[in-house]
Amino acid sequence: MKKNTIALALLSALLATPAAAQNDDAKAELVRLKPNDFPTAPIEYTVVYPAGGGMDVTARLLAKYVEKWSDHRIIVNNRTGGAGMVGHAYLATQAKPDGYTVGIIANLMWGDAMLRAQGRWTYTDLEPIGYLNSDALTWVGPTEGPYKDMSVKQLVETAKDKPGTLRVATVPGSMWDYLIEQVETNTGAKVLRVPFQGGGAGINALAGGNVDIAQGFYSEFRGLADAGKVRPIGVAASERLSFLKDTPTMNEALGGNEYQWFVIRFAVVPKGAPEDRKAYLGAAIRAAMKDPELVAEYLKAGVYFDPKLTDPSRMQANLNAYAEAERAFYVKTGRLK
Amino acid sequence: MEAIGGLLTGFGVILTLDNLFVCFLGSMIGTLVGVLPGVGPLAALALLLPITFTMTPVGGMVMLASIFYGAMYGGSTTSILLNIPGEAASVVTCLDGHQMAKQGRAGAALGIAAIGSFVAGTLGVIVMTFFAPTIATVAIRFGPPENFALMVLGIVCTLFMITGSPVKGALMVALGFLAAAVGIDVVNGRERFTFGSVDLSAGIELLAVVIGLFGVTEVLNNVEKVVKSTLVAERIRGLWPTVADWRASWRPMLRGSGLGFLLGLVPGGGPVTASFMSYALEKRLSAHPDGFGKGAIEGVAGPESANNAAVAGSIIPVLSLGIPSNAVTALLLGALVIHGVQPGPLFITQRPDLFWGIVASMYVGNVLLLVLNLPLVGLWVQFLRIPYRVLFPIVLLLSIVGVYSANKNVFDLWVMLGFGVAGYVLSKLKYDLAPFVIAFVLAPLLEQSLRQSLAMSPDGAMIFVQRPGTALMLVSSAILVALMVRRKPKGGS
Amino acid sequence: MFERALNAFWILLGAAAATYAWTLGLIGASGPESGLFPFLAGLIIMGAGVVLLLRPLSEHVAPDFPRGDALWRVLGVIAGLAFMAISIPFLGFAVAGFITMVILLHTVEKSSWWFSLALALVAIVVVVWLFGWILGMALPRGPWGW
Repeated sequence: MKKNTIALALLSALLATPAAAQNDDAKAELVRLKPNDFPTAPIEYTVVYPAGGGMDVTARLLAKYVEKWSDHRIIVNNRTGGAGMVGHAYLATQAKPDGYTVGIIANLMWGDAMLRAQGRWTYTDLEPIGYLNSDALTWVGPTEGPYKDMSVKQLVETAKDKPGTLRVATVPGSMWDYLIEQVETNTGAKVLRVPFQGGGAGINALAGGNVDIAQGFYSEFRGLADAGKVRPIGVAASERLSFLKDTPTMNEALGGNEYQWFVIRFAVVPKGAPEDRKAYLGAAIRAAMKDPELVAEYLKAGVYFDPKLTDPSRMQANLNAYAEAERAFYVKTGRLK
Repeated sequence: MEAIGGLLTGFGVILTLDNLFVCFLGSMIGTLVGVLPGVGPLAALALLLPITFTMTPVGGMVMLASIFYGAMYGGSTTSILLNIPGEAASVVTCLDGHQMAKQGRAGAALGIAAIGSFVAGTLGVIVMTFFAPTIATVAIRFGPPENFALMVLGIVCTLFMITGSPVKGALMVALGFLAAAVGIDVVNGRERFTFGSVDLSAGIELLAVVIGLFGVTEVLNNVEKVVKSTLVAERIRGLWPTVADWRASWRPMLRGSGLGFLLGLVPGGGPVTASFMSYALEKRLSAHPDGFGKGAIEGVAGPESANNAAVAGSIIPVLSLGIPSNAVTALLLGALVIHGVQPGPLFITQRPDLFWGIVASMYVGNVLLLVLNLPLVGLWVQFLRIPYRVLFPIVLLLSIVGVYSANKNVFDLWVMLGFGVAGYVLSKLKYDLAPFVIAFVLAPLLEQSLRQSLAMSPDGAMIFVQRPGTALMLVSSAILVALMVRRKPKGGS
Repeated sequence: MFERALNAFWILLGAAAATYAWTLGLIGASGPESGLFPFLAGLIIMGAGVVLLLRPLSEHVAPDFPRGDALWRVLGVIAGLAFMAISIPFLGFAVAGFITMVILLHTVEKSSWWFSLALALVAIVVVVWLFGWILGMALPRGPWGW
């Protein structure tokens, strides 16, 4: 825990100095880009998940700093339902593209667009205007019981030897499921999938001894991990997380390169929003994202910043690349034709 | 005893002018939110969360927590006066509370509700003070099989609440299950009964159902009669509970406190479930169960205590472990994070000022709320004197805003209207509406925990026997059903 | 008569629900599938409908539906609420609410025009102020921006 604090302090210091200079640039750009007639009313940041959750916290922190840098009022609105489906459909089909509605969403939207939208909208109906952060899905194991010291490799071996005994928490129809599926296909292991409504619920079940492996994000298990009730054992990212230096990646543990599942959080507006307003909204978010305080807050939550997306000029292209890679996965696994 | 030390720290933190003011403000807002039909603590907390950013973490959390339990105080007011629930946890209070109001005893009902809430809230916080970490460690072991057994117990309790024809009651319970199935099946992500509608894929909103079935139906029933200018024709007989009321109420209050506290601890439990089960428990234990639904004060004392105790119960896992048991506590958790606090088992040792400050604020808040609410009884009762022709449009307008505030979706207003008309028609044909709502609330939890239990069990259904807590609860349910069947020839039709 | 129709409705509803649930699958590899609970619920509804339908006429409940003025009042409330739901997306909350309040006040309970308009205005202003401004809830706006 102490290591984390020092790391955070160093990181913040590193980011602070050049960031301060960048802040002034960002603020100047913001003033330059502001359209005359906009905004005249509060801007709505739509979050498609319930209040208090990881996405909601991200959005509220962002709103706090955007308000600080740009002086326009922001109202964070939760449009929940259908595990995000209702909110995504609203943003893509009903929200007026006048710049007053900004969606703070995650790449989970792509799954909804490709698998569940039934042709009514596609992910290109939502245009990204700013990248926030990324969060890698992490496997978490118990600190009590027969599995308490096992690594991912050992647990997978157990699942191969005794199929149908290892209980793994999952969230049906999403990357939680896909990661388990990949592991099972590649290693021949067979686990018991226990469905939950979110990663957090699965981690709580793990702490209570009701499942053996849970999947979630750092912000969801950090409190329990620090207290020694659970321990992270594998990260589904391309490299180790800076604050979980001792936790191997799933690729390291199991070999190969395909165990990469992460949440990308970004802001969008409905297609067709006026270009000047889009540019202004994007600039406002960029200004906030350069604020070292906001960066520090985000880092505390255990996110990382994907270098492919932090450059605004390449952000949209790379996001689309990720989206198409996900589509390829769906086609390969038979979920899409 | 370190708990006493912690508590003293907490009082030291809370008894400053700033924090006291914030506690008071939150309690008032919570009461107001509870009174307004439809707008519940979840909506209020979501709306007011940004305001807490400018406060210190202690101030912000104290305010949010006080809104939560304040709403449980206020929720009974419209239930009793207008037969319209302030939020879902106050639905059962309508059943007997409003009947009491019609008999001119609104004051007594409101008084008992306030006092029951105070007793339960305070008892809950006392238990929290001394036993929070221990309780939390036990509560975390509550897994899907235990949840399932608890929900079965809940459904069995629902059967006790059925008045009138058991066939119609069973039909309403089954309808509740059916309505609850609309939406996405959380266990495998598939859509059920949505027929391609995005709105339906989110499921049917509980608040719209509750306000429709109990609010709109009530208004429709009332405007049909040429209502004498005011809603309650009876002269209002005194504002305070009588000695007889006290004697009848004190045991339900204690039982409600205990039951509510326990139900607050478990995931998916909380004030709503606690209020239903307390009502059913009181009816089961009462010497005159037929009096329920006609103005039995036990039907107010028990549930109102239960929903307040459930608040204390549900805050324990959040503060002790960083684990939320329902949507409101999930929001409180998010608020902690935004304030830069890391929730989790180490929270109590890392930030004792914050932990004990919140606990101490609950003592203070409960006292404040009692002091606020008792004198207000006299004021609320005056509302009954407003001519109904003025009252009902305002109530409907507030209901519309309240329902809309849940998901910001106009579709919910149609749901409200639809259930209102359906409830109106069904009540004319002597169908009981409460069992539908309870089944609607419990069914998803029951189904989910059953399927989760089976998914996590290598031995299939044996898991229900292998785990002691589960087995115990299931056996209790079976016994209760047997008792019920045996009692029937004496009681129902 | 009405009750027989309702019972028939229950039977149809139960049957339809059970059939649809059947297509969702009842039992799968790891226990109940999506369709099991709705299927059972549908069966119970159907069964209850049959039992109720077969009851002797003496046990039937004759619902006292309103007639005349009372009926108009009930329909008026329903119409008011429906109007609100239909028009909010077009007129915004404030205007739709104002018109609905006037409908409810004037046509259902026959308050005078003057009183209805005044009270509706006050009510809407207070509600929009309380929820829209103080609590910061985003109430739908009409084409005129509020």
